[in-house]
Amino acid sequence: MIIGKRLSVWLALLGIGFTAWVLIGANKHEPMPTPISDPPRSPYPHTVAASGIIEAVNENVRIAPPVAGLITKVFVKVGEQVNEQAPLFQLDERELRAQLLTREAAIPPLQAQIDEQTYKIGDLETQLHRLESVHDERAVSEDDLKRTWYALEMAKRGAQRLHASLKQAMAQRDEVTILLGRLTVRAPRNGTVLQVNVRAGEYATLGSAEPLILLGETEQLQVRADIDEVNAPLVVPQARGTASIKSMANRKIPLTFVRIEPYVIPKKSLTGENTERVDTRVLQVIYRFERPSFPVYAGQQLDVFIERQSSGTSSGTEPPSTVRTEQPS
Amino acid sequence: MNYVALKMLFGDRAKYLMLLCGLTFSVMLIVQQGSIFWGLMMWSQASISNVNVPIWVTDPGIAQVDEVKPIASTAVDRVRSVDGVEWAVPLYKGLLRARLASGDYHQITLTGLESSTLIGRPAEVLEGRFEDILQPDAVVLDQWAVERMGGPGIVTVGTIFELNDKLARVVAIAKTQKSFTNIPVVYTTYERALRYVPRERRALSYVLAKAKDGLVVDDVIQRIREQTGLGAFTEEDFGVKTIMWVLKNTGIGINFGTTILLGFIVGMAIAGQTFYLFTVENLRQFGALKAMGASGLTLARMILLQAFTVGLTGYGLGIGLATVFGFLTARGGSLPFVETWQLLLLVLIALLTICAVSALISIVKLARLEPAIVFR
Repeated sequence: MIIGKRLSVWLALLGIGFTAWVLIGANKHEPMPTPISDPPRSPYPHTVAASGIIEAVNENVRIAPPVAGLITKVFVKVGEQVNEQAPLFQLDERELRAQLLTREAAIPPLQAQIDEQTYKIGDLETQLHRLESVHDERAVSEDDLKRTWYALEMAKRGAQRLHASLKQAMAQRDEVTILLGRLTVRAPRNGTVLQVNVRAGEYATLGSAEPLILLGETEQLQVRADIDEVNAPLVVPQARGTASIKSMANRKIPLTFVRIEPYVIPKKSLTGENTERVDTRVLQVIYRFERPSFPVYAGQQLDVFIERQSSGTSSGTEPPSTVRTEQPS
Repeated sequence: MNYVALKMLFGDRAKYLMLLCGLTFSVMLIVQQGSIFWGLMMWSQASISNVNVPIWVTDPGIAQVDEVKPIASTAVDRVRSVDGVEWAVPLYKGLLRARLASGDYHQITLTGLESSTLIGRPAEVLEGRFEDILQPDAVVLDQWAVERMGGPGIVTVGTIFELNDKLARVVAIAKTQKSFTNIPVVYTTYERALRYVPRERRALSYVLAKAKDGLVVDDVIQRIREQTGLGAFTEEDFGVKTIMWVLKNTGIGINFGTTILLGFIVGMAIAGQTFYLFTVENLRQFGALKAMGASGLTLARMILLQAFTVGLTGYGLGIGLATVFGFLTARGGSLPFVETWQLLLLVLIALLTICAVSALISIVKLARLEPAIVFR
């Protein structure tokens, strides 16, 4: 065939072949690189997703000092189990100790005075007794008798006053003792020390933003799940839920419903900055869980999936607020 | 008779080569221009194809991928709550300035990937390990960032620079498609990206999602739109949206479009004209054949055969040359050149139409031809 003899025809065929080869090679859609860990997936057909944070079942206690003062000793370490009334830290008590010394020193003189008064009373009683036992009116004047009697009664009242003063002095001493006791800050309940933000030598101020010691119960943990307020109507009480910690999406933690917080609060986006920026409001739902086989910690973030009952997904069950627009910024 | 027709075509080597050259270069011109144009368009949506995930969710008013309008960070959970969504992860994207140790400033695109999955990362890494991005202060650059910031001598694995006064350490160089604006891309994790960027009330740029296998992606996208009120797009639709934006809002559409159109017209005109001249010059021979008693139909068939033979040969050579050009120049990715079968098909159809039209004109001319002309 004449066509076969022409070089141009072969070159043309070669050109088409090369183009086809390049095209097939170039237009292949490369698959997405596999994620380094599985992304969290919902185990339910219909779900409400939320982001959660692990916290102790009894909300954490932010220990504060009763008065501002210098810290002289911290008794606990982070992670330590403490019982109720166990001392946590000690505020500087030297001033009160000094006061206690004076207050205590005020007691022995009073006691001595009381003793003195007792003897005085004894003496007067004896006098009165003696005078009374004399029946001769010429030997003991009525006046003497009366005087002694008054002196005795006065001495008795004096003793009473001294006793009262002693009581007062002891009360003053006790006051200082109690105030002293207050300077040792104790655990209000059993728990684990989650944070210690004070060291001996630091000054504890009242109302500081950071708790001096954070006390919590980490034996039982719970999840606080944030749900966008737009999705809030989709959550029903007692809905089942699962959670997974970030980067371990395939290890599901089953959750038990506890309660829905009735107040919708501004969401904190956890950027780790001092002041968090609020971008929306969230409904919080509390779930409890058993400690899984792998370690989890209070404060850790979770991806939470809550089962949604409604089968009519896009029909009438849709809450009106979810339609169309983003809320204006 | 076919043999005679081909003999006529190939017989005059010089004439044949001239004819072939005309066709070849017009095809090459069109294909090359078209491919460069399409390559440029692909570059404009490089931010989308580099991330390579099926569904993009963001503000419904979005015009194109690089014009980010941040949305509330709970959008990730809201998208996850939509039926049929297999997974959804956040993506940060924003412009920032990088300051090198030498004091040079460079505008960069900061891309924050979800830290536990790193969905949206480039498939190929040229240097280092992409997973090292999880180390403190670690970032990954793309190869164009290295080029723009001064080459491997200045920026390489281990280089330290500043992003918004905060430390960034290069741990890997990734291979990506070059983008139209060629702003260097710096990858980091989503959480760290929020630390690098200045404060804004909202930070989340995009939610990347995937529909469950076996579901129609468009249905899922429709559901995301209805349930969240956000804009959801497939990768392809978002790409088209971005390309349309570029065409509408930059001069490329008009400028390049005119060039391509001119190239197309010129190429086709040359092809038609060359072939027409060829038949006209061969009119004498056809006249002789006619005088010998060849029917009009046979002659028409001969002319069409010649037209399509030379047309297809020219087409093959043309696209071959264009492909070789593209293959050699665009292999490194620094020149936009994307050939598509649609373009090749379009050129083929146009070329065959031109050939057929010019053949038809010749046929008409031949039909009117007096066989006696040969003897004049």
